[in-house]
Amino acid sequence: MKKIERKDFLKVAGGAVAGGIVGTTVSFAPFDGLQWLVEWTQDQYRPEGGEEKFRQGVCPACGTNISVRMIGDRAVKVETSNAGCSVCQTLIQQLYHPERIQRPLKRVGGKGSGRFAPVDWNEAVQDIANKIKELRAQNKAQAVAAINGSGNAAANALVERLCAAIGSGHVYNEASLDELASAAVRVSQNADGALEYDFENASYVVSFGARLFEGWGNQARMHRVLNTWKANNTTFVQIDALATRTASLASKWVPVKPGSEIFLAMGIAYKLIMNYGKGGNLPELARWNGLNDFAPDKVSELTGVPAEKIDEIAREFANAPRAVAVAGRGGKMVSSSVAEILAVQCLNKLTGRMGVPGGVFVKAKSNRLGAVAQDAVARAGLQATRKAKGIDDFIKNGEKPELLFINEANPVFTSVYGLDLANKLKEIPMVVAIATLRNDTAALADYILPATTILEVKTSRGDAVVAPRFFAKNAADIVLAIAKAVEGVAQSFPWSGHADVANLIGADRRPLASFTLNLDVLRNGLEGVQKRMESTLPLALIPYEIPLVGNGSSLALPYVLKGIGREDYAFERMRVLVNPETARTLGVGENSTVKIRSSRGKTCRVNVHLSKTVAPNTVAVAMGFGHRDHTKYGSDKGANPLEIMTADIDSESGVADWWYTRVNLS
Amino acid sequence: MMTVRWGMSIDLDKCTGCGACQVACMQENNMPIFEEDSDIPKRVTFLDLMKVTNDYERGKNYGEVQVAFVPKMCMQCSGNDPQNPHPPCVSVCPVVATDVGEDGVVSQIWSRCIGCRYCQAACPYEARVFNWWKPRYESDFKKGLNPDVSVASRGTVVKCTFCSHIWKRERDKAIAQGEKDINKVTYTPACVSACPTGAIVFGDLNNPNSPVYETRLKNDPRAVRMVHSIDHQPEDERQRRLRIKEFPNPKVYYLSSQKWLRDIISGFQNS
Repeated sequence: MKKIERKDFLKVAGGAVAGGIVGTTVSFAPFDGLQWLVEWTQDQYRPEGGEEKFRQGVCPACGTNISVRMIGDRAVKVETSNAGCSVCQTLIQQLYHPERIQRPLKRVGGKGSGRFAPVDWNEAVQDIANKIKELRAQNKAQAVAAINGSGNAAANALVERLCAAIGSGHVYNEASLDELASAAVRVSQNADGALEYDFENASYVVSFGARLFEGWGNQARMHRVLNTWKANNTTFVQIDALATRTASLASKWVPVKPGSEIFLAMGIAYKLIMNYGKGGNLPELARWNGLNDFAPDKVSELTGVPAEKIDEIAREFANAPRAVAVAGRGGKMVSSSVAEILAVQCLNKLTGRMGVPGGVFVKAKSNRLGAVAQDAVARAGLQATRKAKGIDDFIKNGEKPELLFINEANPVFTSVYGLDLANKLKEIPMVVAIATLRNDTAALADYILPATTILEVKTSRGDAVVAPRFFAKNAADIVLAIAKAVEGVAQSFPWSGHADVANLIGADRRPLASFTLNLDVLRNGLEGVQKRMESTLPLALIPYEIPLVGNGSSLALPYVLKGIGREDYAFERMRVLVNPETARTLGVGENSTVKIRSSRGKTCRVNVHLSKTVAPNTVAVAMGFGHRDHTKYGSDKGANPLEIMTADIDSESGVADWWYTRVNLS
Repeated sequence: MMTVRWGMSIDLDKCTGCGACQVACMQENNMPIFEEDSDIPKRVTFLDLMKVTNDYERGKNYGEVQVAFVPKMCMQCSGNDPQNPHPPCVSVCPVVATDVGEDGVVSQIWSRCIGCRYCQAACPYEARVFNWWKPRYESDFKKGLNPDVSVASRGTVVKCTFCSHIWKRERDKAIAQGEKDINKVTYTPACVSACPTGAIVFGDLNNPNSPVYETRLKNDPRAVRMVHSIDHQPEDERQRRLRIKEFPNPKVYYLSSQKWLRDIISGFQNS
């Protein structure tokens, strides 16, 4: 080997130093440093002043009237006057989010690359309309599909109408309480609508895992209900596998084994029939020979609830003047099976609590948009549509569409089959996402169309609080524009704007006391849960929600992130709740780093938080974390447990019941 | 002369932990926005919504354990003599950046603060936070800023002021309408007006018609104040202690029917 001469060495070293100096001087580094110094010393930002005004609006999430404090043309504060939901207060952050989608975006990189370039509204609408025309010309109207979120009822109705006019039945809704309840209502009450409970007039409420005061249903209404119950001394029994705030607000908390709520409902039904003479109200259940499997001692074994306790709830439920049983496990994110909702509804039917004050009603959708004009292509398309039962069924088993609308939804994040959908999206020729902020699903689309936030929506009582920012439009107006650009479809959309449409849709409460129990659905549901409990994995995984974070759609808002407690997410690491006894047997302690593993895969690393709020042999995990692409604030924080949760699709709702999963920690 | 003494009571039996108070506070008081705020000791917020349970030191097991949320802001201490208030933080501030007003509200003027953090050390409630970084508001987030609250600079201590800027706003409006009695000016802090169950109420501690009349609160068996050791002592012992030490004497009361929760908040058994 050649020896390095001193002279050569000095040359090389000198060259490197000189190059370094030149590189540093020519680069921006010194200027960046200077810039930083200037910023560090300069005065702080001073918010602009202006005339103070208050403008009125309505929060569509909860129906509360809001008053927005304006300084000049800036909205600075939402006043709710002791009402409202957690969304109301975050409206300003939604409105002024720096990563708002400003103009229609068209994908420029490869499929799923997430690289977009702005395009003109007309160009985007024309391109999408052309795709619809092309599919219709090929007699493939059924290759259009849509997934609706739950935020904008007018836009959802129009999307449904657009698909019907084009000739496709493939319209699915993101899973929600109403979506699951609607499936149960379809099966048992032969109607189109969700369940509505008359909480205000009830005197005794049993909730099967519905975390009523943690985002469940209409949050603003549930807040009022809490005060009503306190004033009326309403007894509220919460059945849950986790000590939640709802359980602590309840008159009684009945801890159950995770996932066994359905068995407890059956146990109470057994008592109501056998001991309290209620069988006459639901003879098909009273006659069913499978009912004997739900005698108190057997149910006690399945649920971990003592037989006396089951008897106590049954007795109180039978004797209370206005009792009601509530189904729909969870807060803002609800997961349940149709069988479970039916089992709970049996209790209401047995005690005659359907369609009576303080009982349960059906919230039937009313749609006065009129009939859709369908041409031959549309009729053929509808006939050829092999509609899936629900969103998860569609993602997993459905035909691959050629044009998919994602209307203010984020199914890649909110579905247990999200990752499958992400892969599928890459193969669908055109995916159109309507969104205010980039999210996990929109990032994989071909077009992202900018939607307005709530404060920019015109209400029936007047103008919007703030004029639509950038080039954003109300999702309903976007759908109208697309529909009007397609000949043969346009005539079914005579309205000029979203406000006209919003006035024509609503929901009304109907008694609908008829109830037919489908024993096959019930039996399958019961067997499904039993099978799941027999898994060899040692732990149960159940979800919980953090105030404000909810289902994770608000995780892009910094003021939501700021409010997350240290027991849930701290030092850039998500934490999961494990009972201390269980932790000892597993050999983990406070803040141990683990991965949760199920038969479907494993999560990223999470830290353990020991807590006796969770049952032994159970892990409780917060929902809403683990976004892959949801602005720089919301992305890459924690794990999305849906990726490993049970994915058995309910045969009736077509939605996976992911509430209870067998897992291990590693 | 102001005769009102602003005070607050928080009925934890009505609190669902929804977090509206927290966001309302952040929006009203221009909380800085960082990409990653999960480093809690460095996080800047005025109102902390604390989740508490009775599983550990209270020895409750799964099945009996309960969960509650406790909103914690500045307790607006008065010291032993409310007529001559000496809150722990005011006593130590070398530059009078923090002071007590006639209405008992402990103020904090960010621009006067030199960042010595004595007040933060003196505060018994960890109600004060230090701006380790310059508060930032990425692009359009600046549009949502409230001009009534100045944006703090790096290296200053900030805290809840019972939204006293709203009082000033209301005062100016009242004066413009010809009101001459300053004690007639009322206002509602952001967290109070946001609370959807009405758990947080606010008013004059001296006024028997106010929802937070102090004499009534002091006799309420459900009421406790945060970590205040003399509240539950016999009167003679209380007087003895008051003679030898300055106590914070906060103006925020918590109401709960749960003994364990009162114990946790007050820091004492049998509260």
